[in-house]
Amino acid sequence: MKAGFFATRWGIVAVGLFIGVAAALLQYLGNPPNMGVCVACMERDIAGALGLHRAAVVQYLRPEIMGFVIGSLIAALLFKEYRARSGSAPIVRFCLGMFAMIGALVFLGCPWRALLRLAGGDWNALVGIAGLTVGIGVGVLFLKGGYNLGRTYKAKPFAGLIMPLIMVALFAMLMAKPLFGRAKQVVDGVETIIITGPVFFSAEGPGSMAAPVAVSLLVAIAIGFLAQRSRFCTMGAVRDVILTRDFHLVSGIVALVVAALAANLVLKQFHPGWEGQPIAHANHLWNFMGMALSGLAFSLAGGCPGRQLILSGEGDGDAAVFVLGMIVGAGFAHNFTIASSPAGPALFGPAAVVIGIVFCLIVGFAMREKFA
Amino acid sequence: MESVKRGVVAFHSTSHAIQAEKVCRAIGVEVKLIPTPRHISSDCGVALRFDYCERDRIVAALAEKNVEISLVAALD
Repeated sequence: MKAGFFATRWGIVAVGLFIGVAAALLQYLGNPPNMGVCVACMERDIAGALGLHRAAVVQYLRPEIMGFVIGSLIAALLFKEYRARSGSAPIVRFCLGMFAMIGALVFLGCPWRALLRLAGGDWNALVGIAGLTVGIGVGVLFLKGGYNLGRTYKAKPFAGLIMPLIMVALFAMLMAKPLFGRAKQVVDGVETIIITGPVFFSAEGPGSMAAPVAVSLLVAIAIGFLAQRSRFCTMGAVRDVILTRDFHLVSGIVALVVAALAANLVLKQFHPGWEGQPIAHANHLWNFMGMALSGLAFSLAGGCPGRQLILSGEGDGDAAVFVLGMIVGAGFAHNFTIASSPAGPALFGPAAVVIGIVFCLIVGFAMREKFA
Repeated sequence: MESVKRGVVAFHSTSHAIQAEKVCRAIGVEVKLIPTPRHISSDCGVALRFDYCERDRIVAALAEKNVEISLVAALD
């Protein structure tokens, strides 16, 4: 394979095909339905495992997230693209990450899962993808208006390794399954200390469904590697079409959907319909609005959740801050009754989405640069 | 016909690229926004493609308008 292959149309198509098939296989091997890979859901599960939220059905240290970052790091080191950098509006990026996650958890999925839901026959994904596109379109308008979070600066190499090291630490916890919690319990007037999580692992629900760790990790490392080489990005795909009429990244996305659809048909995982879809709801308004918020936040931050993980693996400290914002946002989403369930949007989900959109609009207007 | 050598300007942010496009159009230089070529940078950004013979004019115009450039490179 020649060095420039991943820069070509066939390169990005090959990466899309790989992610699509890999996601369908991970689902077949145990991951939750239409969730072979989902950056938002899997970061949410990690937040739960660490006790940042206590939704008992979505707690697991997903090795896929670790794999994406490590795979990207390996690719960046091998091809001399590892570049530690940071310094571009970290607190803004953190908050964009938080609200991006809140939007994603109102819809129930990141853009990657939206594509996988579509490939699994969940037509509600179409509504989400429409919202995502509108959100990104609004973000592009801000870019055209001079929106700019400022440039990054070179950092010491170690700074870029912190995110990969966090992933290694999470993997160690996944292996050792330590229990860090200590709680007092009084039984018949006798006080005892009980040992509990975190780390929490769901006994039921989506958090309990998982492909074998080794498979998840290796597949995710491969995806991270390929995504780093090809700069696969769902937000970038839509943005490039709107801004430059370029369909390079979109061809990767189409390939992902086609491959996942074909694999789902073979594995009998294709169940078309609107109602009763797994880990999804059919409220069109909030499916649309949730993803619109996410799309806006992604475009203001410069990448979809998957892309942010990949960037954090190749040394981008600002992308790492966005990722941490997403994980904390997942904590809020479940603690504050924001995250949707198959029954529909949660009590405070719509309000949180509106607050998020207002926040993003303010960021879009406030972070403009005047040119002479 | 002799093939025209093309160049690409990369930026630190997408909005700089968009501003640069405006600046170049204003001085009558034909440019096109393109996704940043993979081998130039791994940033998820857009870049500006131009006829390489216009290199100096473009760089001077962008400097004058304070549009910060990440790098300029020959494309083909």
